Amino acid sequence: MAPSGFKTLERQAFATNPGQKHEYPDTQKLTAPHIESFNSIWERAGPHTPPLIDIAVSLLERQVIFDGKGNDGSPFGNKIKVWLSDVRLDHPTQSMREEKGGRLVFPTECRQRSATYRGKLSGVLHYQVNDNPEMTEERNFGQLPIMVRSNRCNLQGMGPSELVRAHEEPDEMGGYFIVNGNEKVVRLLIATRRNHVVSIQRPSYANRGPGYTSWATQIRCVRPDQTSQTLTMHYLTTGNLLVRFSIRKQEYLVPVALLMRALTGASDREIFSAIVGGDAENIFVRDRVELLLRASKEHAVYTREQALAYLGDKFRVVMYAPEDMSNADIGRLLLRQYIMVHLADARDKFNMLAHMVRKLYAAVSGECQLDNPDTAQLQEVYMPGHLYLGLIKEKLEDYLLGIRAEISRDVRNGKVDLYNTRYLARVFSKVNVDIGLKCNYFLATGNLVSRTGLDMQQMTGYTIIAEKLNYLRYLSHFRCIHRGAFFAELKTTGVRKLLPEGWGFLCPVHTPDGSPCGLLNHLAHKCLLTTVVEDTSDVEKTLMRLGVESGMPGPALRDAGLLTVQLDGRIVGYCSESVARKVAEALRALKLQAQRMREMRNRRAGFVDIPMTMEIGFVPITHGGQLPGLYLFTTPARLTRPVTHLATQQTDIVGSFEQVYMEIACLDGDVRPGVTTHQEVLPTHILSAVANFTPFCDFNQSPRNMYQCQMGKQTMGTPMLSLPYRTDNKLYRLQTGQTPICRPRIYDDYGVDSYPNGTNAVVAVISYTGYDMEDAMILNKSAHERGFGYGSIYKTEYVDLSQHRKSGDPITKRFGLGPDVLGDAALTERIGFDGLPIPGIPVTDGDSLYATIDDVRGRTRISRYKGEKGYVESVRLLGSAADDGVLQVVAITFRIPRSPIIGDKFSSRHGQKGVCSQKFPAVDMPFTESGMQPDVIINPHAFPSRMTIGMFVESIAAKAGALHGVCQDSTPFQFDEEHTAADYFGEQLRKAGYNFHGSEPMYSGVTGQEMRADIYIGVVYYQRLRHMVSDKYQVRTTGPINSMTQQPIKGRKRGGGIRLGEMERDALIAHGTAYFLQDRLMNCSDYSLAYVCRCCGSVLAPIAVPASSHIVDLSSPGTLDAKPRASAQFAGLSAAEARAIMSSIGSAASGSVGRGPLDMMCRLCQNSENITMVALPYVFRYLATELMSMNMKVKLEVK
Amino acid sequence: MSSQAQYGVQKSMTGVKKTGSQMSYLCAACAKPTEIKPKEPIRCHDCGHRILYKKRTPRMVQFEAR
Repeated sequence: MAPSGFKTLERQAFATNPGQKHEYPDTQKLTAPHIESFNSIWERAGPHTPPLIDIAVSLLERQVIFDGKGNDGSPFGNKIKVWLSDVRLDHPTQSMREEKGGRLVFPTECRQRSATYRGKLSGVLHYQVNDNPEMTEERNFGQLPIMVRSNRCNLQGMGPSELVRAHEEPDEMGGYFIVNGNEKVVRLLIATRRNHVVSIQRPSYANRGPGYTSWATQIRCVRPDQTSQTLTMHYLTTGNLLVRFSIRKQEYLVPVALLMRALTGASDREIFSAIVGGDAENIFVRDRVELLLRASKEHAVYTREQALAYLGDKFRVVMYAPEDMSNADIGRLLLRQYIMVHLADARDKFNMLAHMVRKLYAAVSGECQLDNPDTAQLQEVYMPGHLYLGLIKEKLEDYLLGIRAEISRDVRNGKVDLYNTRYLARVFSKVNVDIGLKCNYFLATGNLVSRTGLDMQQMTGYTIIAEKLNYLRYLSHFRCIHRGAFFAELKTTGVRKLLPEGWGFLCPVHTPDGSPCGLLNHLAHKCLLTTVVEDTSDVEKTLMRLGVESGMPGPALRDAGLLTVQLDGRIVGYCSESVARKVAEALRALKLQAQRMREMRNRRAGFVDIPMTMEIGFVPITHGGQLPGLYLFTTPARLTRPVTHLATQQTDIVGSFEQVYMEIACLDGDVRPGVTTHQEVLPTHILSAVANFTPFCDFNQSPRNMYQCQMGKQTMGTPMLSLPYRTDNKLYRLQTGQTPICRPRIYDDYGVDSYPNGTNAVVAVISYTGYDMEDAMILNKSAHERGFGYGSIYKTEYVDLSQHRKSGDPITKRFGLGPDVLGDAALTERIGFDGLPIPGIPVTDGDSLYATIDDVRGRTRISRYKGEKGYVESVRLLGSAADDGVLQVVAITFRIPRSPIIGDKFSSRHGQKGVCSQKFPAVDMPFTESGMQPDVIINPHAFPSRMTIGMFVESIAAKAGALHGVCQDSTPFQFDEEHTAADYFGEQLRKAGYNFHGSEPMYSGVTGQEMRADIYIGVVYYQRLRHMVSDKYQVRTTGPINSMTQQPIKGRKRGGGIRLGEMERDALIAHGTAYFLQDRLMNCSDYSLAYVCRCCGSVLAPIAVPASSHIVDLSSPGTLDAKPRASAQFAGLSAAEARAIMSSIGSAASGSVGRGPLDMMCRLCQNSENITMVALPYVFRYLATELMSMNMKVKLEVK
Repeated sequence: MSSQAQYGVQKSMTGVKKTGSQMSYLCAACAKPTEIKPKEPIRCHDCGHRILYKKRTPRMVQFEAR
């Protein structure tokens, strides 16, 4: 375990002279699932597979429309056929007329202008009228958002030096879209494993209707273009089986016997033998198949054509079938588009349906177990690219359907003329085709607006903003994988469980606590998602050669013990269990051999092309376990990971299905000779990229590591190196970032050194003054002055003058200093003649910021800065895209310095967060014998209950590293009981002349006395979290109030108050603090004075009556002024004081003349005798009014 | 303080030829200075890029350290 070294010089050399090759290739792999899945849409999806967009377009049905001008020869009239081909996406270019050839647009420009990074999507529309020659027309489908660093991005293939020149990060990973200036990531979602039958039991299925039970089997079939269609087979008490599928979000149920007959025209006997096979003794299955066949008799369907016609008749309308299509053809169309869509051949579909039936019976009879759909074994991923393609495909289909609807409408109105090219051109252009706009909406909002639902369970929450808060936060956006919004609402917690099947695929540590716990996981850092559509012809040949018997149901009829062999959800044959075991072993050997030959570029004639990512899932016969068989998977979107194959010492790629049945040892000691075939490459491969950065995390209690994963992502760090070219709303930056002395080896793989996230601090664990109680920490004032944790915030504001201008109106406002204000020296000091602030000027709240000239009025308007004290960092002038006019949009970036103050939050890398409670002067800090002072003091009570031993280890390790000038490797799982970390680092400390255990005698900074105990002091890497008091403090004496209730409003931003709620009120009552309660709930809230009639007790009845109705002595102004004076007098007083004054006035007044002291009169009692004034909460008056509207009277008994 | 402000204004008045005249900006793509007149479209004369940065002031900037 040699120290890995800081590599300072190498990094320096690379930073000053970035080359052509990525220095950290592993970072590029983190976003690979996003980029590769997007790439496969537009370029070859596999060695023998065309781009997915071409497959998708070819799978779109050709739309056929008749004009209804029929005669005897053609009853429906003239026919037009419409279809699409050659859908292409261009690189993002400036779509300008004045630019010759079109200038390429780069992502940085889109970010700064808050525009969308997009390219032109176009396609060819074909149409054919009757049997006339086919016509084509180029169609533009709008501007489609493009993934950065994909094969349609202008940054594709760029090395670090070029990327820096393009104002990107030297290791820009891409994988996101830029929509309106925001970096948007399509979230990875968990899907059920494709083309594999799972048996499930859900209580809700029993509630579907009479006869339904909770049993079902389900298969998620995926078409070659990666769109899916789920089939569910329900088990009914009658013995019948219904296949459920949805067409355009509408569910349909079809008896399975009908489907099987329609697929191959199988007779009852054939269906029986296909399901029962050689297992004739199995009475359970036999009886049920008999019932199944008997139930199918009621349709009176006996042949294939009859079955197809029956289906076609029922589905004619929903299938949008052309009028001239026969029922049988519509039946065929239905089978092709919705039943077992991953298979092309009807015989294969039939076999798979039979398998589904068999598995359902096996699950019901207890012969095999129910599958748990929450395990990684039966899961794969909805890839961003595949989802995007599904959306594009649906919108393309919408276009064709739109044309169809348009022509049909004209047919009804009789305006149709299919031979008129001008008519057709009008129709084609009339239908809205802006697919780019729709995809833009999808990415901007994350809402999936879809006709078919794309076989997805949720409609919202597909995209997230990739916040560049710091490097770790940014990284984890691309690695997070969500279970689906549906599961978030589920009351049961089964889905959130950490299951052993996810070992090595999903990180056990990196999941948030709270509501998304266990649903929002992160991929282990070496976990790969397959994206290539593999060629499986060689696999199939090899299977036959290895002894798999093909043909259905021939072999199965002979022997009930034969297992099915399935390749990507297609039954290719049968073999016995012992043969299957040998086949699995042989396939793995061949797979590894093929990989060796590929690596050696040695493709001899006998080369057997077995894809490296193929899963060989051999499920042996067990008593009530999973349904046995040999299941092979080569499809994209699977979770795979590398492990070492022990026999060949080669890296094998293992999938989540096969892993369950494989013998993979973790450490050397776990290897069992003769049993173990594989071993983990490194034990840290089970952790995600972020979890891996926790030093010595194997020493910590596991929840602390989870907390660190959260806090690492909230740290003020170095979000990016391209800071001058960014216009993010808010960026946090740590000015004095350092590389940790103690760091795992993986730090160098992911280049985290370029994005430091904290500062090394000398930490003493003492209870020193009491200012470190309850997770508070004391900061050394000198450390603070040296720059410990110094950070700043970059805020960007867009000023858009055309915001309130309607399109078409002339521009009336522009930036500039008009002649009317030019003489103002204070203004020209800060604002240039262009009306924009000069970069570098300090700004405080209320300062002049920019000036605009209103051309209509010829006046200059000065706009002022609102917010915290800071500086203008940069001013960007953004020219309009149309290139026509005056400057209208400006982006101003402010830099707000945030030096650490009391109340700011810090944390070590072990889930030990604390708030700075005091900045102690250096003289008062304790010091060691060598004169060292801690930068940070934390309380020993932070440790016993939290058990973050890793922090202790880091402390001595980094201390030893600092003393020896080396970088310490803190990769977890390096130490064991014989060879402990404490000894290893203790020895290093001893060599440097320090205490073996890391503690030192210390002296009080105040008295100079030596402390009684030795103090544990060492170096710990501290992160400054983004939660700062400056963003959180809330204070108010008086301020804005709600106009209806007169109570203070809420909200920090608006200067509102903090609610003193019921529970707080209860506590105050319990304490007997009546005066304080009165103060909070009345005087500081909605204190008001109200007139009450003592006679009727109403607060609403007293009204001010016109002076004429009274005997008013106009000569004496005192009587008129009495009221305003009274209220002015009471305004600043508490209720008690007001009442005292009131009573004195009241007694004085009542004694004098025969009318009230104030100009008030009770409307109910018709007198002004008994009106008095009381202090009331203002809402009480509102309550009284509300009650009055419901015919209820509120009566106050005023004495 | 007031005398400093006075000085600054005088200097800026002399530094730029006349009120409302053209200003110099830096192109975001090629970093070359570009002169833009008021009401003129925002474009780099060199590369046609449409984002320009405002230059820092040529004046001395001095802040109090605390």
